[in-house]
Amino acid sequence: MDAIKKLQQSQWFGVGFLVVLTVLCWAIFKVLRPETFGSPEQIMTYLQSALIYAVGGCGMYFIVTQGLWDFSIGSVLVLSCLLAIGCSQMFGIVGLVVAPILCGVLLGFFNGLAYTVLRIPSLIVTVGLSLIYESFSVFAANWAGTRLDAQFNMFGAYPWNVILALIAFFICGFILKYTKVGTYINAIGTNELTAKNMGVNVDKYKFIAFILCAGFVGIMAVLYISYGTAQTPMTGMLSQSLNFTPLMGAFFGLAFKKYGHPVVAIVIGELIISMLFAGFVALGMPTTINNVVTGATLLAVVTLTVKRVKGAVVK
Amino acid sequence: MSDKLLLHAEKIDKKFGPTHAVKEVSLDFYAGEIHALIGENGSGKSTFTNMLTGILPIGGGTFTLDGEQIAPKNQVDGNHHGVAVIVQELGTLNGLTVAENLFLGDEDQFMKYGIKNTAAMNKKAQELLDGFGLSKIRATAPIENYNFEERKIIEILKSTWFDPKILVVDETTTALSQDGREKLFEVMRDVRAKGHCVIFISHDMAEVLKMSDRISILRDGDYITTINAADVDEDKLKTLMVGREMGDNYYRTDYPNYATEPQGEIAIMMNNVSVPGSLDDVSLQLHKGEILGIGGLSECGMHEVGKALFGASYDRTGTVELGDGTPINSINEAINHSIAYASKDRDNESLLINDTIQDNITLPSMRDMGFILKQKDLKAFAKKYADIMSTKMVGVDQYVSALSGGNKQKVVLARWLGKQSNILLLDSPTRGIDIGVKADIYALLAEMRNQGKAILIISEEIMELIGMCDRILVMKDGKINGQLFRSPDLTEQDIIAKMI
Amino acid sequence: MASTNTKAAAEVQEKKFDWHQIKSLLPIISFVAIVAIFAILTRGQLITPRNITLIISGGFTLMIATVGVYMIMSMGCLDFSQGSMMGLSCAVVCYLSQFNPFVAILGGMATGALIGLINAVFHVKGQIQSFVVTMCMMFLLRGIIAYITTSSPVMASTSLTSLATNTPLLVAIVVVVLVIAYLVLHFTALGSNLKAIGASESGARFAGINVQRTKIIIYIVAGAITGFAALINAIRVGSVTSSSGNMLETQILIALVLGGMPINGGARSRFSSVVTGVLSYLVLQRGLVMLGFTTEIQQLILGIVFVIMVAVFSERAANQVIK
Repeated sequence: MDAIKKLQQSQWFGVGFLVVLTVLCWAIFKVLRPETFGSPEQIMTYLQSALIYAVGGCGMYFIVTQGLWDFSIGSVLVLSCLLAIGCSQMFGIVGLVVAPILCGVLLGFFNGLAYTVLRIPSLIVTVGLSLIYESFSVFAANWAGTRLDAQFNMFGAYPWNVILALIAFFICGFILKYTKVGTYINAIGTNELTAKNMGVNVDKYKFIAFILCAGFVGIMAVLYISYGTAQTPMTGMLSQSLNFTPLMGAFFGLAFKKYGHPVVAIVIGELIISMLFAGFVALGMPTTINNVVTGATLLAVVTLTVKRVKGAVVK
Repeated sequence: MSDKLLLHAEKIDKKFGPTHAVKEVSLDFYAGEIHALIGENGSGKSTFTNMLTGILPIGGGTFTLDGEQIAPKNQVDGNHHGVAVIVQELGTLNGLTVAENLFLGDEDQFMKYGIKNTAAMNKKAQELLDGFGLSKIRATAPIENYNFEERKIIEILKSTWFDPKILVVDETTTALSQDGREKLFEVMRDVRAKGHCVIFISHDMAEVLKMSDRISILRDGDYITTINAADVDEDKLKTLMVGREMGDNYYRTDYPNYATEPQGEIAIMMNNVSVPGSLDDVSLQLHKGEILGIGGLSECGMHEVGKALFGASYDRTGTVELGDGTPINSINEAINHSIAYASKDRDNESLLINDTIQDNITLPSMRDMGFILKQKDLKAFAKKYADIMSTKMVGVDQYVSALSGGNKQKVVLARWLGKQSNILLLDSPTRGIDIGVKADIYALLAEMRNQGKAILIISEEIMELIGMCDRILVMKDGKINGQLFRSPDLTEQDIIAKMI
Repeated sequence: MASTNTKAAAEVQEKKFDWHQIKSLLPIISFVAIVAIFAILTRGQLITPRNITLIISGGFTLMIATVGVYMIMSMGCLDFSQGSMMGLSCAVVCYLSQFNPFVAILGGMATGALIGLINAVFHVKGQIQSFVVTMCMMFLLRGIIAYITTSSPVMASTSLTSLATNTPLLVAIVVVVLVIAYLVLHFTALGSNLKAIGASESGARFAGINVQRTKIIIYIVAGAITGFAALINAIRVGSVTSSSGNMLETQILIALVLGGMPINGGARSRFSSVVTGVLSYLVLQRGLVMLGFTTEIQQLILGIVFVIMVAVFSERAANQVIK
């Protein structure tokens, strides 16, 4: 018993558990569909999309750790992608990288500002703002077009996509471990009032988290548009669907936080999810019900990771 | 103790809305002393030290530490001024490592160009832990790997490693085992030996007499006196704490002549009830025409008794039933069988704080008013019972959040009065309530008792139990540890002896 | 001394009350203002009988569905699956209408109720925030609707669509729903119970309200109401495509907020928000269309109005933790 307990407390238990889960997931689909699923090249494709979403997941992690929500990242992603298309035409590769990140940081700033100044629940304020950002995406598309010039899609393939993603993961891990932000967002997430008592400027760190979140979504946009090479503007809350996959990764990070490697958990979590999707497609699932899988998976991930306390007030 | 004045408090004052918690208290603390601060619940001692340590903003007056006036903005700011506190509740945060908890809010010493030297922080934390005899605790491990006692001791380390000039120990001992206490006492003696000062708050008089050099007494927010520990005994301290004027005239003066057995039929009882974390195989009976008191230390599980009888406990085992054997397993059943409950957590559990007086009073009675409700009737109903309780209000449309503690409690009682409840379970009925309203509530309870209602009072105020109850059950560690009967000779000491 | 204190307290109270009184009038004021502004901007075009009919007939489904969401929101919860719920219920109504119109009505309501039940179970038993549950549900159902309409839209039978021009009947149905809801919420304990849950869940529990059961029932009822609204939608539109009911949940939310609904529900919820809110929203939307704004500009303006109104009507207690 003691040995098991010790193993469970080990730092690498969580990562090990996730790796086993990944292999298991792969094995199940491989057995069911040996021809159409899980060849080495296909795994590289799964990994590629996992990397993209994991960058967004890293951003979301700063938000969900504090018990907040950001339902604007889908619209931030769309707008950033469109600005990347536009700016790549004007400034080349520099525009492609800098524009979406700046856009993300700026929109994150607005999210944080609206949340801290208006003092309304984060999910409401970000849904409201995403309506506004979505309408901007139409203007951006009118200006920039919706197709990324083929000469700029270097981040859409190996090795540059991996390099950029790794830089993003490194930054995320660094912020979590080597700055006050990492400690404080954890403290705020556990008990906001105690954290305040310890001198943590709660509003400031929530604000920073919103900026970081949308900033990482900006980086994600670089990878996303380079991989997909085209992005149409989205209105009517359609961009909300893009929130889901990064959110799932963030929840994996949250669930395995206590083992000390949230970024690794986010990446592996996203890999599992992208394998799930590919697996269902291989099983013959029509693409029209992609949204069914997205919704159901997020619901399952949240249900499995949420801590239930008798009598807790949940709205 | 030296003659060197370390900390001077000048006319420290604090009000919470209409409640005057600390009234212009002036106190001196000297270098090299352990200075106990004692008083009943609500006497203002924690409020006083919370202002010193930055947990609460100072309401009025000044603290002068070593000739320098201080007004800490928060706990960590207090630490930087040389003031540290160990609180009663758990002050460490899940999701952080031991090292992060130790240095929370105080990371700047490891920061360079905005980058935290995590390795140096972990190293220093581990050194501190080792030096404190806690080498089995790893600085890099998440704090949730350790149990309550270990976390409490980590907190002690967090508050003392930087050699604070003033260390406030606020009722920490009740949460600790004997070993933990010894560890804490050792730390307190250390602080004193270094020529600093410990402010020690405790309800355990023996502990206070054993540890402290001088003792200051607060009562209802007033400073009473300071005495040398060597010059007093426990009885003297009790007398000073309770004072004379908190007179018998507030309480019942009758002493019915049953000395050993309660009379009247059983109204409600619990048989072998356990609730994880609070109650352990408790059985008790509450009789009609009886006021039963339950006393004990705050964490002894007594507050769960009220919830269990009201059908509100989660994961309860054992049975709760009325005198006729009707089981009570949910709040709904309890209310339908004329049971009323007032929680210790008045703002969250007794009341809908962001709602009107009318809604608060009528809510449980609506089910008796027929299927179709008329706003006019509801209003008249609420007004009637609010007036019977002489609630001070603008009108029944007023929000409860705007009322004082005493008037909030009147609204709670008005609700159950309106519901014609025959069994009243009152947890801390006079907590945070001023003397005037207290007297009203006591009079009401005595009257209800004479009407034959069954009343349960759960209270941390021992004098209230002695003054009001026919019978007192004292609890300890989730079990009933003794039963005492109403008598003019009953003393606080009799009860405390069974609490600890 | 005591009496002057009470008096001072009373004065403070009165001041506060004034602000709340203004707040409670604000939805009406903003409705009048919206009508006036657009009437002027469109040079009176907005208030011609033709346009008024258009405005009203565009809002039947919204009005009915908002009634259910009002109940959910007064408990402090949210429901973002309404639009997709409407789409799916509508598909069921259309499909069943080919057999029997009454079976179709029941089928639509049952579909909505079932979805509401699933939402409620995840929210109440799974302790997941209602917003997250219903957001997931929205995508789940959108996928299902897309799947069943892949090859062709689901058509309603002519027995339903022939009622499309019968505006008096449709108005009567909406009014009946509103009146029933109003009576139930005002003259039974239900309305108070819902607000009590919104004001304080634990307080409501200790006052004898079965919070979990009430929440589950209300989600089911709200689903059934939306399922009923789907009938009106089927009558008016006649078919279901993959985009049926899109944005309905957002429209409901904006409408209620325009009507002065506090986003956290509670004691200051007023049923009148449903009517004033939906009417304000309809006029606002029609006005924007008439002024020739593109969809994205309409959405931009609605988004800004939404954020401002939420901020105005939110209740914020001191030292409250807002997540």
